Amino acid sequence: MPNYLCIRRSQPSQQGQPGNSEKPSPAQMEEMFAKFNAWREKFQKNIVDMGGRLNGVGKVLTPQGATDGPFVETKEVVGGFMILAAASVDEAAEVARQCPGVIAPGASLEVREIASP
Amino acid sequence: MSWRNRSRGQPRSSGNRLALTTPGLVAHFFRHEYGRLVSLLSCRVGVHNLETVEDAVQTAMLNALATWPRTATPDNPAAWLYQVARNELIGQLRQTARRQHLLHDASAAETAAAWLDADVHLQSEVQDELLRMLFVCCDDAIPLESQLVLALKTLCGFEIREIALRLFTSEANVYKRLARARDRLRQLPADFIESLNPAAGERLRAVQRILYLLFTEGYLSNLDEAALRRELCDEAIRLATLLADHPWGQVPETYALLALMHLHAARAGARQDATGGLLLLEEQDRSLWDRGQIHQGLAWLEKSAQGEHFSRYHAEAGIAAEHCLAPTFTQTRWANIVECYLLLEQAAPSPLHRLNRAVAVAEWLGPAAGLAVLDGFAPPPWLEGSHLWCAVLADLHRRRGDAVAADRYHALALGAAPTPAIQALLRRRLHHIAIPGGWSAGVP
Repeated sequence: MPNYLCIRRSQPSQQGQPGNSEKPSPAQMEEMFAKFNAWREKFQKNIVDMGGRLNGVGKVLTPQGATDGPFVETKEVVGGFMILAAASVDEAAEVARQCPGVIAPGASLEVREIASP
Repeated sequence: MSWRNRSRGQPRSSGNRLALTTPGLVAHFFRHEYGRLVSLLSCRVGVHNLETVEDAVQTAMLNALATWPRTATPDNPAAWLYQVARNELIGQLRQTARRQHLLHDASAAETAAAWLDADVHLQSEVQDELLRMLFVCCDDAIPLESQLVLALKTLCGFEIREIALRLFTSEANVYKRLARARDRLRQLPADFIESLNPAAGERLRAVQRILYLLFTEGYLSNLDEAALRRELCDEAIRLATLLADHPWGQVPETYALLALMHLHAARAGARQDATGGLLLLEEQDRSLWDRGQIHQGLAWLEKSAQGEHFSRYHAEAGIAAEHCLAPTFTQTRWANIVECYLLLEQAAPSPLHRLNRAVAVAEWLGPAAGLAVLDGFAPPPWLEGSHLWCAVLADLHRRRGDAVAADRYHALALGAAPTPAIQALLRRRLHHIAIPGGWSAGVP
């Protein structure tokens, strides 16, 4: 099975600290946690690397040198990634789509097959 | 033993919206851990820092949410949360101190840091903190309704909108009540919690009152969703059990309070039919009553039978016990229930208790005797206009053969019913007058 890189992007205002937005309550967190675990359980075989959230620290390297990232001028920034194994891009997309919290307003997920040699 | 192990072993029969549980975590882990951590940390850094503490605990939980699913749930999730919340809290306190250039606050932050380094995971201590916080919530300078909201927020881990939903009120109202409580807490001296004397009887009575209120909010609420109501009752039982197990709360009144909670909760599952419609006491399938919980209730009731003081909790638990022990509605020992209502009226005078006594007397000695209890009694307007009053009078007059009075009260009762479910129940009850047996589902 090929591997797929899932790249999550969202608008900068919704990145990082969940400070000003509505915070989930403990009961909601419990529900989110349970749902996420259920998802992980269900797709155990597909999950190669849970990846993680990307925070604001970064650099962008170009032939002209290095600049501090992330890319504030862009409308969306990459906020997280994970690697899935699946028989097809459709299957990988379906696994990712079912991951709680991944598909949200203002966010998008790109699923790309990692070319094998 | 920790309180988490104490929660009843069997799964809740009523539909629980958070039935999704996670391996390694007990049900309501986040919500209960929230209450525990907020109590623990507030006791360390002072209740005037409550909001900072709550933010720190919230942040720790969000971190857990982001971390645990990716790695694994830690062996001791509670300790993990404590560490993260503690670090977050100390960071916040230091930052505040720096920003305000206050040497005093800076040293307070360092003292707090030292305090928080101590190993505080001894369960007995944690129970102390949770109870201490409960006693703090029951400050007589805080209005009762604000105490309730404060307890639901800090000890039960409910958010404003969740509290509003459960108390059948608006978010703005809950927010206002909470703000009033927090204003008071901010004025308290930093060492208030440590200096609090839980043995002082007045405050213990306030704690019992708030737990009673929490329970009745759940049990008698007009809320249609049974699972939400049930949660309030479960929280009340959880906290009351803590209180009854602790030297601060070990008095007969606490045992009686816990008895009445169990004896009511045991029957809660039978109060509704399959479609969610309310059932009268005489219509309920008594085999659905939770025998295990009835036994728990009776054990606490037995334990409460000591000392000089007969409280309203004793009387109410006594009434509930009679219902639980009756094999059928008609075999209920109404004489005992009438006796308990008389004692209840003495312990806690309320026109509602008199109305209930009239109902019990009618079951015992007939409708004329029941009406006689209300002779010369002028109910306050809130009761006179309520569906309970009107329904009881409609019922008693009908059974005595006074159709005119019965019809009048019948119409009034239907008009005053607060929810469609109660209206449906009234319609059924008041149309089936031929069935012998009484009216006593409205109020336990």
